[in-house]
Amino acid sequence: MSNNLDLSDRRFGYILTAPTVLIITLVILFPICFSLISSFFDYTLINKSFNDFIGIDNYINSFKDEQLFNSIFVTIYFVILVVLLEFILGFFIALLLNSITRFKSIYYFILLLPLLINPIVVGLIWRMFLHPQLGIFNYLLSLINIEPVNWLGDPQMAFITIIFVDIWHQVSFMIILLLAGLSAIPKEPYEAAKSDGANIYECFIHITLPYMRPVIVVTILIRLIFAIKTYDLVYIMTKGGPGDSTDLISYYIYRSAFISLNLGEAAAMSLILLVIIIIITIPLFKYMNRLD
Amino acid sequence: MKKSILKILSHLILIIFSLIIILPLLWILRNSFTNKLNAYKIPPEFSPIIFDNYIEIFSKYPFDSYFINSFVVAFGTTIISLPLAAFIAYAFAKFNTGGKQLRLFLLSTQMIPPIIIVLPIFSIYLSLNLLNTYLGLIIAHITIILPFLSWMLISFYSRDIFMIEAAARSDGATRFQALYLICLPLIAPGLIAAGLLGFILSWNEFIFVLILSGKATSTLPIGLSTLSTHRGVEIALLAAATTLTVLPALILLPFIKKYLIKGLSLGALK
Repeated sequence: MSNNLDLSDRRFGYILTAPTVLIITLVILFPICFSLISSFFDYTLINKSFNDFIGIDNYINSFKDEQLFNSIFVTIYFVILVVLLEFILGFFIALLLNSITRFKSIYYFILLLPLLINPIVVGLIWRMFLHPQLGIFNYLLSLINIEPVNWLGDPQMAFITIIFVDIWHQVSFMIILLLAGLSAIPKEPYEAAKSDGANIYECFIHITLPYMRPVIVVTILIRLIFAIKTYDLVYIMTKGGPGDSTDLISYYIYRSAFISLNLGEAAAMSLILLVIIIIITIPLFKYMNRLD
Repeated sequence: MKKSILKILSHLILIIFSLIIILPLLWILRNSFTNKLNAYKIPPEFSPIIFDNYIEIFSKYPFDSYFINSFVVAFGTTIISLPLAAFIAYAFAKFNTGGKQLRLFLLSTQMIPPIIIVLPIFSIYLSLNLLNTYLGLIIAHITIILPFLSWMLISFYSRDIFMIEAAARSDGATRFQALYLICLPLIAPGLIAAGLLGFILSWNEFIFVLILSGKATSTLPIGLSTLSTHRGVEIALLAAATTLTVLPALILLPFIKKYLIKGLSLGALK
């Protein structure tokens, strides 16, 4: 039906599409263009004018900025670790959930909860728990004779803590999507394999994994892209510190804009980040294209 | 025998996992009903249930206005985005308007870290006097909610719905009539779920509000983060404020549960 549309059909489609495309262009593309322009000027919160054209100085300064590279590395470590750990834990829990029938909906309901809670709340809750003196966590550890830990005060520990909290918050995302994939696998191949004497491990490698491949790829890529955006957790828990150990890229750009007030340089960094995002997004789109 | 041990083990792991998720939330709930001193006490002591913290966040802190602001912004964003998303999703599903490119363009906007968009929006709003206004916040939130809802709604328009629509058309209904008298009511469950999810997304959004709002328009997440820095860690008060912030999403959860996968996977999984 959609192959040979008559003209009025096509026109109706455009009428329905136009408002959204217009709005998105106006509120997303226009600001990005604005950023692109301001990245070539000495454009700061104090001097908000397009008078001082400085060419690619903002980009040169960005590339000379060790802090920016630090934040890119911190972000890369963070993203790889959370995605990997959340995937492994998520897949494991999804497999368990898929193998049972009793109480499944109760477990499912509980693990949906974190997804609806905003990161600010999650960060606050864990900050209270992990408070070195007043937090319940160190008290619980003291019950099993473990010395109090300064969860957010030590650079390395703070990074690990942020990762832990992110896993607590986001692992459900992996579980739900992977579980959806698992429950869509037909039963017959398993029965056939079992009658051939295959064990659980062989079934997993030769049936589950191949069937799950598209779901796994899509889930990991979406989670990866969303992990790069992480901002709120660091804002509320560590403010990028101690030192710059948890200075994720989004937070660093925010700091450059509103603490050093240099909007032009922040714009240049934003566009560098945008290029990185585009490079990661392309394979996801190629993959999704193949799926339909 | 071996099978039942495996089952018990699975349940055991799942129970531990569920506890790790739910105990912190229950602990916050408990703290929100204790008096201030008891909330600090380590080891924890039994404490009678009181509502003082809930009263105090409204009497001493402007949580009533945070609440109203959150509601106005989330409601305004959803009310504007939902019909537009329903229209474009219809065009995508029926006519494949703009082809795959347009759909992916819409999806790609979801991939952009908000910080990239919010900085220039800040500068633009500054000259348009849109900082610290509801309209400004709603427009900013539409950038997130509208593409998300558009994607989510595409798969709700099924072949069956278009068949019914075609019958109505041959009975003389105009295109628009067929769309909003036949199609939209038929995907009503999807519209409701998408609307609620959009509401929650906007309710929870932080970075846009942080940069674009002011005292008069601050929403709950901003209120929480200021409360947390205000006077050290006021555990009992924060617990009450946190509980109230999370509550709407939890109340709505049963209604959107079924459609969450579609939303979370951006329509890639059904």
